[in-house]
Amino acid sequence: MNVFVTKGEGRGNLVFRALLKGLMEKDVVKVALVCAEDPTGNSFVHVLTGDTSVVESSWPVPPVMPVQGARVVSKITRKGPVELPTAVVLRPCELRAMRELVKLNQVKLDGLLTISFDCPGVYPLQQYLSGDRSFMKASIDEAFGHFDLSGTRPLCQICHRFTGELADVEVGFLGAPDEGHYLIGHTRRGEEALKALGYQEEVDLERRVDAVQEVIKQRIEAREGYFKGEFGPKVVGVEALLTTLHVCINCHNCMRVCPICFCRECFFDSDALKVLPGNYLVRAERKGALRFLPDTLLFHLGRMNHMSTSCVSCGTCEDACPNDVPVSRLFAMVADKTQAIFDYEPGQDLDRPIPFIDYQDEELHDYEEPYIESTTHRPSSS
Amino acid sequence: MKVEEERMKNERETEGVFEPKIVGFLCYWCSYTAADLAGVSRMKYPPNLRVMRVMCSSRVDPVFIIKALLDGADGVLVAGCHPGDCHYQKGNYYARRKIALTKRLLESLGLEPERVRLSWIAASEGPRFAEVAKEFTERIRQLGPNPAKGALFL
Ligand code: SF4
Ligand code: SF4
Ligand code: FES
Repeated sequence: MNVFVTKGEGRGNLVFRALLKGLMEKDVVKVALVCAEDPTGNSFVHVLTGDTSVVESSWPVPPVMPVQGARVVSKITRKGPVELPTAVVLRPCELRAMRELVKLNQVKLDGLLTISFDCPGVYPLQQYLSGDRSFMKASIDEAFGHFDLSGTRPLCQICHRFTGELADVEVGFLGAPDEGHYLIGHTRRGEEALKALGYQEEVDLERRVDAVQEVIKQRIEAREGYFKGEFGPKVVGVEALLTTLHVCINCHNCMRVCPICFCRECFFDSDALKVLPGNYLVRAERKGALRFLPDTLLFHLGRMNHMSTSCVSCGTCEDACPNDVPVSRLFAMVADKTQAIFDYEPGQDLDRPIPFIDYQDEELHDYEEPYIESTTHRPSSS
Repeated sequence: MKVEEERMKNERETEGVFEPKIVGFLCYWCSYTAADLAGVSRMKYPPNLRVMRVMCSSRVDPVFIIKALLDGADGVLVAGCHPGDCHYQKGNYYARRKIALTKRLLESLGLEPERVRLSWIAASEGPRFAEVAKEFTERIRQLGPNPAKGALFL
């Protein structure tokens, strides 16, 4: 992987506006996919635009994440790659999800120039909609380069994959001197883009590497501490889990907004779980009473089973939950564990297949039974 | 009343006379045949296992396992051909990944992963099948009834 490192001036959204505008003016890209404030000023949306004046007034890094960017890129490229070179600004978790979707053939990367950055986190969506929006807009813009923004979503505060290192162009604020930033071209495409903008001088990253490592270390500690200490007891064990999930109304919003839940028809919406009334009665008799809508816990545990190895801890599901179920924290906590058994990091390595379509001959023996010596069997192979 | 009776039976069971209910997903090409063999050879194994025949261990979506556990099973056994012997070449390797994931997930939420067991039992291994069935039933008996089955508001 080529790495070309240079530096620029300034912090905040203006950096991204200038970067996108420059890329369009130099014809490196024709189109940008970027967030903009909607005309009411209440929220933000992604827009696809070839117009530099739209880019000039855009909000590439808004204080909230209403739609997961990976879903947007997937919407655009599901049927084929973009026809004009397109720059797309994505948060690190959006980028990881997008790369996970590349593996699943739901995103085509060709023609995209991805841009990502040290993400300061986002505010909970509901809080933004009902709170002091100008304050939150201003604080996000000032937060670049610091990692002490308070009031962001709980998962953002324990996110340890907050850099844009997987993008073609990474904008790094941490460690950069003089209120500036680093521009890092991680791929040939990224390097060429930066050079086309006139960046020639190469700088070294020493200051940044240490600063990033320091925050990663803090965040990993905070993450483990949070899941073990504060959050764990709320969801570990049948009783705790049911207490936390009891307000779930089984609306499946969390699944619908998740960038990783890509199935055309979710198993949990399918006919597989539609049964005759008698079946419910039998279950009700067996237990004493059956809760409706049924299969709420099955839905959550089943979804974890199907997709937790690809969960990018983006928090979108929790933003979408109408009843404040801490669903993204629950999923992220479990995902940390399920990803660990396969040593798998979603979105990291494009050449590594998702765990369900991959295996090693010798692995996971701990999960096989406590072995009873075979009496008659001889393996036919080897 | 039927519901009341059922509940009393559950209570009786928790008071010492607990008979585990175990669902066994057995691969048609191997473990199912082994179970058959154990049967016709009159080998003794506990009657607690309700057998579901599947065409390959990889057919067992973890959701089946979780559904069984939430709906009244005390344990779930998945048995397939030994690694290297799957009729479809790779099925059991995928199955192993799915079961590992399921057990890890249950563990991370404090939901007793020991209630799920993966075993490799070849078609000729009737005695081994009886042994696995016996051992697993004993294990589940020691663990006691699955707490999820009594939870009303699941
Ligand atoms: S489960 Fe939630 S946190 Fe995980 S990828 Fe999906 S939306 Fe993001
Ligand atoms: S966790 Fe929230 S969003 Fe998901 S199904 Fe339950 S109520 Fe709906
Ligand atoms: S055919 Fe028996 S495990 Fe695949």
